[in-house]
Amino acid sequence: MAVGSRSAAECWRTFKLAAWLGWQMESNWADPFLFSIYSIVKPVSHSLILVVMYLVVRGQAAGGGLFAQMYVGNAFFLYVGQVLFGLTWVVIEDREFYQMFKYMYVSTPNIYWYLLGRSFAKMAIATVSVVIVLTFGRVFLRLPIHASTVDLTTFCFSMFFGMVSCIGMGIGLAGVMLVVARHGGHASEAVAGALFLLSGAVFPIDILPRLALYPAIALPTTYWLEGVRRGLLGSGMGQTMAVFSNRELIVVLAMLSLVYLILGTLTFVMCEKTAKARGLIDMHTHH
Amino acid sequence: MSQAIITEQLRREFRVDKEGKRRETFVALDGVNLEVNRGEIFGLLGPNGAGKTTLIKILSTLLSPTSGRAVVGGFDVTSDPYSVRRIINMVSGGEHSGYGILTVRENLWLFSQLYGIPNKIALERIDRLMDIVGLSDRARTKVHKLSTGQRQKMNFIRGFISDPEILFLDEPTLGLDVETSRVIRRYIREWVDDRPDRTVLLTTHYMAEADQLCDRLAIVNQGKILACDTPSALKRRVGQDSVLEIEISAQAGQLQPLAELSAQRGVRRVAISSNGGGTLTHRLSVIVDGDGAIPEVLQFLAQRGAIVTGFKKTEPTLEDVFLELVGRRLTGENGSQVASKG
Amino acid sequence: MKTDLKWHLRVNVKAAIARAYVRVVGTNREFSWIFFDTLLPLLGTAAYVYVYRAMDAPEEYVGFVLLGGAMTAYWMNVLWNMASNFYFERQGWNLELYFIAPISRMAILAGMAIGGMFMTTIRAGSLLVLGSMLFNVRFNVSSVPLVVLAFVLTLVALYGLGMLFSSLFLMYGREAWHTSNLLQEPVYLLSGFYFPVRALGFYIAIAASIIPLTLGMDAVRQLVFSHLHFSLFPVQVEIAGLGVLGAGLLYAAAVALDRMERAAKQEGRLTLRWQ
Repeated sequence: MAVGSRSAAECWRTFKLAAWLGWQMESNWADPFLFSIYSIVKPVSHSLILVVMYLVVRGQAAGGGLFAQMYVGNAFFLYVGQVLFGLTWVVIEDREFYQMFKYMYVSTPNIYWYLLGRSFAKMAIATVSVVIVLTFGRVFLRLPIHASTVDLTTFCFSMFFGMVSCIGMGIGLAGVMLVVARHGGHASEAVAGALFLLSGAVFPIDILPRLALYPAIALPTTYWLEGVRRGLLGSGMGQTMAVFSNRELIVVLAMLSLVYLILGTLTFVMCEKTAKARGLIDMHTHH
Repeated sequence: MSQAIITEQLRREFRVDKEGKRRETFVALDGVNLEVNRGEIFGLLGPNGAGKTTLIKILSTLLSPTSGRAVVGGFDVTSDPYSVRRIINMVSGGEHSGYGILTVRENLWLFSQLYGIPNKIALERIDRLMDIVGLSDRARTKVHKLSTGQRQKMNFIRGFISDPEILFLDEPTLGLDVETSRVIRRYIREWVDDRPDRTVLLTTHYMAEADQLCDRLAIVNQGKILACDTPSALKRRVGQDSVLEIEISAQAGQLQPLAELSAQRGVRRVAISSNGGGTLTHRLSVIVDGDGAIPEVLQFLAQRGAIVTGFKKTEPTLEDVFLELVGRRLTGENGSQVASKG
Repeated sequence: MKTDLKWHLRVNVKAAIARAYVRVVGTNREFSWIFFDTLLPLLGTAAYVYVYRAMDAPEEYVGFVLLGGAMTAYWMNVLWNMASNFYFERQGWNLELYFIAPISRMAILAGMAIGGMFMTTIRAGSLLVLGSMLFNVRFNVSSVPLVVLAFVLTLVALYGLGMLFSSLFLMYGREAWHTSNLLQEPVYLLSGFYFPVRALGFYIAIAASIIPLTLGMDAVRQLVFSHLHFSLFPVQVEIAGLGVLGAGLLYAAAVALDRMERAAKQEGRLTLRWQ
């Protein structure tokens, strides 16, 4: 018990220290004003791409219906990109750039807490970005998000399990980074791109070909984004997901999140073993 | 032009962050005047932070001087850096250059191409140099799989690959084992002797390396050149004196009074090396005017309760020259204290 | 004098080829890029295809998206493998070795650009071919030579922009890195990666034309989907604009590299790691 609590305290200390380090690296290059501009421009531009696409086809981009579903899905998908990138880039940055990964690896009692801590700053920035994008949508694009109609329970459970699943995938991908060269550093963006398609972030998954529909319904991110849509807008997107009640949706999401967390951790462990066997923990592969 | 390198009143300042938002000026080089002749191995000897690497960076066109002038191979480093780059190369000890995903041979080939060396000549040169430093068996190994020493050998080869007129070697044997260091030192000597227009500017911490390798030496401290001459001429500066290496057993509290030894007649300088607290063996380096002062030194120690456990009278070394000029040892251990006359 | 010029030319060409070789060989030494850089980006691009399908947009828009997806590969390559490369070169101790060599900084960057372009063309090409097969895209090319010309000029101007950005990395560390990061999404938006840039409004589109991809993609789209009408300017005007942009950006890059190098040497930041 004493050992357990000491170990928990060590993990918490590692997490806190790594989070502090991550925040320093994210934010201390600019003054707060410049940093705020930077934090707003990126996510708003990301959302405006979809707005303009909608505008091109439909002539106007505002209000509820398909537009709102797309907009909200797109906004929350920012988390996926940031969490995956946050967790995987730590390995590449610490190993290849700061050349500190081996020291962190041997000095932290649990490397997962270090990775989580380092990526925490990116998660915090993603939260700010999502809030900015939703506020922009609510104010300028008349998104039908009203305090009286928000289903907080569905939203909060979806967010919690959604984040767990993202962390699971991120840990797995961070493991892959241990055994690939530096150019794999942007793999998180490619994986996020694939998830953007298969999770139906900006369209109903019903229109995917059957072959792509199977992986789509096996992804926790599909249920997570559906959950946040239902939580904030009161309705989901497409027929495939409509068969689940809110409660069923959360249960499936919880189970899948757990599965992905376990799979991600197993992937990390396997890759870690390979990296150690092949002496790759402190490799430099710049080219 | 018989000089390979000339510096005139070379000064370099850096703005460094202090507590809060305060910034202070740090003088890395303070009016350095230097002349390095063609065909010689010239050494810069000094402790960390003395300004050796800053000087090499200016001479290799990586850093601008704050004021003063530096000429390399007849070309001004500030106004004509391209001409300087054609005739120089540089190796820094402990550097990790190269692309980890490429093999040793590929990396060396890449750097040879930056000097326009034809492929055939470059590859022949690479193979010959790898043979000399004992890296041939790693020619097709990816660089990220090399040990620190092997990586340093690769960097050493990289410096010679362009066959420069002037080569800057910044701690070239750092991290290498004794045998490899010896091979490398021998190669540097042969390389310079082979052609009269080749020049090496070498920085080192290792006194023996400087002594063995350098035709002339400059002793640098806090951005200033304190002395510049051949190693033997420098040693002659303390040559009339005797250097005593005395091991004593004493309480830590007894060390401070021992510094008063420097006030004794015939004693020119004293340095005390200690490993820290309690009763320990300490080492005293004492430069005395002549052998006549030795009994007085021993008597002084006995009066202060220090037990002499070892005694050696040595010939002056560059370390002693450094001690004489700077007032402390270059390779001193922790807790070094110094006292001198004047 | 003539010999000197010849020597300079030879050394710079050899340096560029060697740097390009490193880029190509380095990437191919690990085949993970085929999965991460070809197959997965195709899925990401496909998402935008389905967005249009969900909106019941005309099928031609699928072609827009694929072309945008292919050009994304070049934009990412310029931002992350070229502009910011000096950041990593400095960290890996290589920057100072390039800078003490008797070569132009443009030669190193040209080498990176050529190597990067070669690898990215394979990625972009596979994305375009696979995507076209998968989504049954029909191209209606009006002039192959003009397509090639517009494409080549776009790449010259784009990599010129990359060289201009790289000068920032001589002086700055993370500040420059975050500037690159900041540019990624706004350029997707302003250059019209997934829609005709005219949709942004004429004046915004003109302002966005300072980014080579804007005119480049509009010109190529006009030429390969010649039956559609959405252009910002006539193709000839856009090609001429790309030519001017390319020359201007390369010149600006050379000047900026020179100035930034001088400033970095004065401040002692050229070899300063972990900035």
